[in-house]
Amino acid sequence: MTADRGIQGERGTRTHCPYCSLQCGMTVQKSGRTALEVLPWAEFPVNEGGLCRKGWTAAELRGHRERLTTPMIKDRANGELRAAGWDEALDLVAGKIQDLQASYGADSVAVFGGGGLTNEKAYQLGKFARVALGSSQIDYNGRWCMSSAASAGNQAFGIDRGLPFPLADVEQADVVVLVGSNMAETMPPAARHLDRLRAQGGKLVVIDPRLTATAERADLFLQPVPGTDLALAQGVLHLLDAAGAVDEQYVATRTTGWDEVRRSVASWWPERVERVTGVMTAELRELVDLLANNAKVMILTARGAEQHSQGTATVLGWINVALALGLPGREHAGYGCLTGQGNGQGGREHGQKADQLPGYRMIDDPAAREHVARVWGVAAESLPGKGRSAYELLDSLGQGGGADGPRALLVFGSNIVVSAPRATHITQRLESLDLLVVCDMVMSETAALADVVLPITQWAEESGTMTNLEGRVILREQAAEPPKGVRSDLDVIAGLAERLGSPIPFSTDVEEIFAELGRASAGGKADYSGITYDRIRDEHGVFWPCPAAPDGAEDHPGTPRMFADSFATPDGRARFLVVEHAGPAEEPDAEFPLHLTTGRVLAQYQSGAQTRRVRSLPDAGPFVEVHPMLANRIGAHDGDPVVVRTRRGEMKAPARVVSTIRPDTVFVPFHWVGANRLTNDALDPSSRMPEFKVCAAEVTA
Amino acid sequence: MTAEKRLVIVGNGMAATRLVEELVARGAVSAGSTSGGWKITVLGDEPHAPYNRILLSAVLEGSHRPEALTLRSEEWYAEHGIDLRLGARVLEVERELKDVMLVDGTIIEYDALVLATGSIPTLPPIRGLVRMDGSLHEAVHAFRSLEDCERLLEAVTATDEDGEPLNRRAVVVGGGLLGLQVARALGARGIDTEVVEGADHLLHQQIGTAAGAILARDMKKLGVAVYTGARAVRLTDTAPRGGTGGIDLAGAVKVLDPLPTNPGRVALRLDNGFTLDTDLVILTAGGRPSTALARRAGLEVRRGMVVDDRLASVSDPDIFGLGDCVEHDGRVTGFVPPAWEQAGVLARVLSDEPAKYDGSRIVARLRATGLDVAVLGDPEHEVRGGGDVVEMSNPVRGSHRKLVVRDGRIVAGALVGDLNRIGLITQHYDRQTVLGPTEPGDLLLAEATGRSSLVSQLPDDAEVCNCAGVTAGAIRSCSSFEQARDTTRATTGCGGCASTVRQLLAERSSLTPEGIT
Repeated sequence: MTADRGIQGERGTRTHCPYCSLQCGMTVQKSGRTALEVLPWAEFPVNEGGLCRKGWTAAELRGHRERLTTPMIKDRANGELRAAGWDEALDLVAGKIQDLQASYGADSVAVFGGGGLTNEKAYQLGKFARVALGSSQIDYNGRWCMSSAASAGNQAFGIDRGLPFPLADVEQADVVVLVGSNMAETMPPAARHLDRLRAQGGKLVVIDPRLTATAERADLFLQPVPGTDLALAQGVLHLLDAAGAVDEQYVATRTTGWDEVRRSVASWWPERVERVTGVMTAELRELVDLLANNAKVMILTARGAEQHSQGTATVLGWINVALALGLPGREHAGYGCLTGQGNGQGGREHGQKADQLPGYRMIDDPAAREHVARVWGVAAESLPGKGRSAYELLDSLGQGGGADGPRALLVFGSNIVVSAPRATHITQRLESLDLLVVCDMVMSETAALADVVLPITQWAEESGTMTNLEGRVILREQAAEPPKGVRSDLDVIAGLAERLGSPIPFSTDVEEIFAELGRASAGGKADYSGITYDRIRDEHGVFWPCPAAPDGAEDHPGTPRMFADSFATPDGRARFLVVEHAGPAEEPDAEFPLHLTTGRVLAQYQSGAQTRRVRSLPDAGPFVEVHPMLANRIGAHDGDPVVVRTRRGEMKAPARVVSTIRPDTVFVPFHWVGANRLTNDALDPSSRMPEFKVCAAEVTA
Repeated sequence: MTAEKRLVIVGNGMAATRLVEELVARGAVSAGSTSGGWKITVLGDEPHAPYNRILLSAVLEGSHRPEALTLRSEEWYAEHGIDLRLGARVLEVERELKDVMLVDGTIIEYDALVLATGSIPTLPPIRGLVRMDGSLHEAVHAFRSLEDCERLLEAVTATDEDGEPLNRRAVVVGGGLLGLQVARALGARGIDTEVVEGADHLLHQQIGTAAGAILARDMKKLGVAVYTGARAVRLTDTAPRGGTGGIDLAGAVKVLDPLPTNPGRVALRLDNGFTLDTDLVILTAGGRPSTALARRAGLEVRRGMVVDDRLASVSDPDIFGLGDCVEHDGRVTGFVPPAWEQAGVLARVLSDEPAKYDGSRIVARLRATGLDVAVLGDPEHEVRGGGDVVEMSNPVRGSHRKLVVRDGRIVAGALVGDLNRIGLITQHYDRQTVLGPTEPGDLLLAEATGRSSLVSQLPDDAEVCNCAGVTAGAIRSCSSFEQARDTTRATTGCGGCASTVRQLLAERSSLTPEGIT
């Protein structure tokens, strides 16, 4: 037993924050009879004891008066929810599922998961959908997170791991380019690595339509028009080629496709880039000079670059830049994606995605089906095929209004009503269902629509692994008993599977599930088979791929850094891929003359179902960031309400007049109902990511 | 099933290339004899695969590798089943027979023909420019094609047997966008360069006198002499090296020679009586639409080949025009973006989709290091049309910025010497955003920095550490940075407030006697 483990129970439990993908290490300690206190865990290398206020206050949700502790069943006649027992609730859900599937087929029941679920839950959920329900209709809200970077990574490198190196490597780089990341506000403890980078003489470049807290630290800040990051990347690549800064030897030996990409960017001369992106040629050249004259360059994208109908192409554009400079595989350099949700990385590896099976295997690959079916103990033919992507699944729900899709939806770890794009429409789709089941710890906006609400455990009340933005598998350990009446998502899955007459049992023992997950992932791209809970405890997490060692052999050390010698493509080479800038699906016009972009604020997380209920976190509600020039134009004053309107809806919120935003753009945070009534549901053709980050809007005072 | 239709494109420049790309992108290119779509033949008279012509001056300057110019490889055309013929000059279009004949006698039939022949450089009326045999004097260079660029580069870098540069001096004839870019590029190459412009100021088609004067001053600062209001009239050979230093034309005023020991190999006489000694003469006095083929084919040609909103010749619905060679709605353009917009429209027309070309908004940017010029639309024209002028001139700083506004929209503009906010101004112009009454003026003002850095003015309840939610007051009540860190957790999250916290503590201790806290 290690020192770390010995601490458990004595002085506190080593665990991780319930929120974002940084998964900061923290110590949780009992305080009084039921309350928990959050304390630093200084040795965990990602955050070194630092937390943001969300982390420090994470325990406040325990014992909250709004915490759900009993299943609720809605009476459709009067719309009222009444308390019910677990058996009654699960019997009702299982019975309805069986009725619907008998009448309308297996796919009439769908599952919607979340990027905040543990690996064990994500794994069980995918298995539950395919085996217990026999439904192809499962996807999750991670599609709305980093799916464009995932898709691009798979195409270019043959594998998708957010960061192919530990986050702390940032400190050793010469230049770090953040494309659409507001790290200092969305994952504050990560910014320490940027500060050390700069303290050691490294340069930070931030590309964002807003001068954010992150951009304030930048040595070079570029402020492009929303939706034009790809054009910027094309312009950068062209100038690098023109300057002779391309690493020809790397390109020749480690990549394919350069010639065609080089030609495709020859039409992106600086003045054209300036006209499209609004970034002055001088600034573009400054960026190119930094990239051309430094060896250790890191290019990191986040939601700002990815949540677009051209999100995948945009990431590929920046990967092309990275490949041309010979970065991926070079020490303290490369391309990476800063994943967003707590288990955004692991959540996409274990089969809750419509097209995937555990281990990042593809569901239409016969060998993958065979392997996973064997681990599960079912016939490969019994597994359904590919289902719909998250937005398409929700858009198809219920009957009427053009939809003819699933009639029942089970929701785990997601607050769709707040977080889906074109939310008014999606809410109508949810309302048209025969059965909506929501597992949540509080009465979220989505739970409030449900026929059955199941109260579930939260973070500190259960154990399970997460995979952070670095591909490091970490362990959240249970620190407290859950309130009476509350069960884990895993119990819900197992209880329903049993009632549905599943051909195989569903365990609720996390370590047992993790071992099975490991076997299912063995030989896949995200191979967890060599990872155990004990190793995670001993090694501050283990980086995948980590295959199981043959008997008697030494353990595989895990893979903190990737691509040093080859890529995960069949020929081991990375792919340059030609991409063309097409711009946002919806451009401003006379009626909607502005760009609307959305994002997060420091004190709130995602749909706010948790953080809005933590009293220590400031919640002043949504606001609309407006540049003084625009405020003058429309007669808006700081603090006074303005109305934002798009083709899909409108919302009213106080104006926040700031000179840090582009004058042709407004910003609304998405943690409250409203912002996503405005956003556009145009989808990326390959990742199926909706265009959260830009649409045309009108603002009036 | 539609039969295969034959599309012949004459020209292989940027407009033609974009048209082919657009057709490929929309699947309008025939994959076989019965698949429908166009069977495309591209006829380019240059021997190169298509390249980005507008970057030639950057190649001349040395800031751009010529390899980075190629737009599409010959293999790309082959992969998409497109017959690309390089070095293929078209002699005649036979509209009755619907075919074209190349100079080598090859005949190619078409169902639809696109003329994208571009423009040809204007030869100014200078005696001695053209030899008896019709060729240009060897010191004279055009600057239109990659070959022109390569030839000029060779001349610029050529050395004699001692390794000394053969050509040290150049005169650029024409002070428009291209002329200034070339002059700047030659200057950057160490060539002693002068510009001759017939109008009374530089860029006279784009900017006014005041802005032109500022630009001329910028050029001089960069070491390029400018002669405006002067036309070159005669080119003569000077005496061989080692002679007396240039021939003295009767009555001519000799310009004070900065390189008296190197008089140059030719002399260019101006109509103001000056004579400029030089080694190279580069002609950048504009171009005109290349319309010879269209004219001979009997198509209506005014300044350019006249096309309608579908970009079809008004004389023949099966012949289309594109780019610099066409005249639409009384206008010829000479810029790439409108040619590309036309290519997009024409690709839709050729794909039987509804499409209409209704003109383009043009932004002209000078591509030359150290010279900041942007021109939006046609400012002089818009001013005559009644647009309001919002102007900001700062001769001290060397900037002149003008926006022409109509109904709240920026309809034209000219910015010289200061391109602050050019990206935003261009966005407003391109999108025709309706601005507020003070906004055009605000756009021309210097950007406000926005944030106050006076920490001492922060009220006690102002939050300074967002990560931990710590107010200025809470920091002020701490005795040291360490105490603030440990008791409030300020600075332990993102660390962004560290300097503010230090400042707050420092300011506080300056007001608080040592030891009393």
